[in-house]
Amino acid sequence: MPNFQLVRRKFQTSGITHAIFLSLPVTLFAVFYIYPIISTFNLSLHSWDGFSPTPRFVGLQNYIVLLHQPRFYHALLNNISWLIFLLLGPTGLGLLLAALLDRGMRGEAVFRVVFFLPFTIPAVAVAAIWRWMYEPTNGLLTTILQSIGLGGLAQNWLGDPSIVNFALMGSMMWWTTGFAFLVFFAGLRNIPVECIEAARIEGATPWQLFWKVSFPLLWPSTIVVLGMAAVDAMRLFDIVWAMTNGGPAYASEVLATQMYDTAFGRFEMGRASAISVYLLVIAGVIIMPYIYQLAKRVQDSEAE
Amino acid sequence: MSNSKWIGVALCVLASASAARADGPKELWHYYAAGSEKAGIEALIAFANKQNPDSQIVGRVIPGNAVEMRRQLQTAFMGNTPPAAYQSSMAFKLKTFVDSGKLHDLSETWAKIKGDEIFPEGVQRVVKIDGKPYGIPYDLSLINNIFYSKAIFEKAGLEPPKDYDGLVAACDKLRAAGVEPLGNAGGPFWSLYNFYAPLVSTVGTEGYYKIASGELGFDTPDFRKALDLYRSTMVKCYAKNWSGKTWTQTADDVVNGNTGMFMMGAWAAAYFKQAGFAPVEKFDVFPAPGTEGKAIFQMDAFAVPEGPADTLETAERFVISAASAEGQAAFAVPKGSLAPNVTVDPSIYDAVGAKFAKQLADASKANAVLPNLFFLLPTKVGTELGVQLEKFAIDPSDANESELISTLESLRQEAQAEGAYLKW
Repeated sequence: MPNFQLVRRKFQTSGITHAIFLSLPVTLFAVFYIYPIISTFNLSLHSWDGFSPTPRFVGLQNYIVLLHQPRFYHALLNNISWLIFLLLGPTGLGLLLAALLDRGMRGEAVFRVVFFLPFTIPAVAVAAIWRWMYEPTNGLLTTILQSIGLGGLAQNWLGDPSIVNFALMGSMMWWTTGFAFLVFFAGLRNIPVECIEAARIEGATPWQLFWKVSFPLLWPSTIVVLGMAAVDAMRLFDIVWAMTNGGPAYASEVLATQMYDTAFGRFEMGRASAISVYLLVIAGVIIMPYIYQLAKRVQDSEAE
Repeated sequence: MSNSKWIGVALCVLASASAARADGPKELWHYYAAGSEKAGIEALIAFANKQNPDSQIVGRVIPGNAVEMRRQLQTAFMGNTPPAAYQSSMAFKLKTFVDSGKLHDLSETWAKIKGDEIFPEGVQRVVKIDGKPYGIPYDLSLINNIFYSKAIFEKAGLEPPKDYDGLVAACDKLRAAGVEPLGNAGGPFWSLYNFYAPLVSTVGTEGYYKIASGELGFDTPDFRKALDLYRSTMVKCYAKNWSGKTWTQTADDVVNGNTGMFMMGAWAAAYFKQAGFAPVEKFDVFPAPGTEGKAIFQMDAFAVPEGPADTLETAERFVISAASAEGQAAFAVPKGSLAPNVTVDPSIYDAVGAKFAKQLADASKANAVLPNLFFLLPTKVGTELGVQLEKFAIDPSDANESELISTLESLRQEAQAEGAYLKW
């Protein structure tokens, strides 16, 4: 028996145990993350309709063709617009709502549910609701504007190429603000009361209290919200596809919807793969330094 | 029980589950998810299963449209688990699958159902690849008619226009009466389908097929003339904010008396009926100017993937039932579409449906049944044509017209160099 315990202890402390425990996540990571990326890159060097038995090798042609297409740059610019919007819009509003509710309003529990509820709705349902809201003649938004004498502000929300992206962002704001709100609200509630009390005693105004005490202490929550917003902006697909299919005439297209249309609407799997490789690289270039910087600041603040 | 025994039991369960999948029900994949079209496919499946008690088929909805169906099929083919049969569009949408050897040649089935006799020539063209049939037509809708509200026309003292001058005059009169003249909807299809009428008016039936085969360029004076005709007539007539509406929202505008006319596929008739807008009493149709005596159609067919013998047998029995006059009627009546089989009794249709059936029969006799150009063109050319047409219809400027022409012409030349065009 003592021998058995010895073997067991040795087994527990040896590298083999670590390797066994690590093997599952590493295998999953390799199979479902690394392999698809390599496979997608390989496909991007071919011309393939998705069905023919042998894809034709075309080298970097798919990448070069994309670089000469205004459609590709338009979708990329839309992604960047979405990035800016998602970093500022839902994040700012979520923070504002959390700060307001944290002041101890009456009916806090109800507001908490109301603010978060839209985030629980699936993207396709959100799209269906807002498609109806944005109907340009009899939709809810136009009707409300007309009833309060602001009919002149009513737009062809999803049909005007110069308006459609703002309209989509409006629906996204309604849908995702709840997430930012919840994270910020939880963050605010976790701030030690002593810090707030100490600042109050020192005579800090509510404005100073928020910006000088609460907001810096909210940094971990801010990282989560901004990080998710940046990732969402790069992988944006569902709400755009379900509401406009990237239209009218590519106006609201982002790289992910262009990739889907190229793959399954035009049967150009190789070119679609090239778009996804570009998307991966661009997302990496945009998001990684940002995440690195944020993570570094967290480490610094923890060290302090 | 020891751990090894538990693992053994789990493996047995997994093995039996996968075996059950292989021997599972034979599926028919389609994307008729709701309303009249769902009722149509369910009626057809019920009819076919009654006809073939030993070869039952089960319908499975693939949510979305042709694009989602394609994605699902691609995955299924990769996993070697395709359905017994599926809803397919025509022409190029069939060809990609045929080229890859995924579809079953339906020549024997075609002979059994006498396909060359029961389907019009224009219909046969788009389900045959290299002379062999790969699809069984069952769901046909004409797309060259304009629906109009009878009450609005009566109030404005209008008769259905017969030419483009008459159409523009009717639009002016409706607009003066405070009604939006002609509805349209956003997306790459509807403006394109509207454009076929000015196109056929300009280039004729022969020119239409020449565009489909790549022989007639997009930079020719004829094509520009068609664009100019479209701009000065239909585009001029379009309702305000049309591009921000779905086709059902525009149909609602007609029902609610806000819009006088709507050029849409025959499926709009079923939508009007469901909304309580009775055919002939509340709405009627007339052929778009320049398409009198012609039938431009959109159609779905059943395609059968290669598979095990028993699955193929079930699929073939199903498509034989679906091609029969009774099977076609079982689908067409609830769906509100036309049966491509010309032996179907015309009395199954309502008054507007009967008009469509007569239009198809007359056009068939005159050899003027034209398939939807979108599906005759190589996929990338057809898709871009739809996108560019929508852009042009939203902003019919000379700059957009020139961009449309140059974009499509360079795509045509590229597709020609690749040998992608087919003569249908």
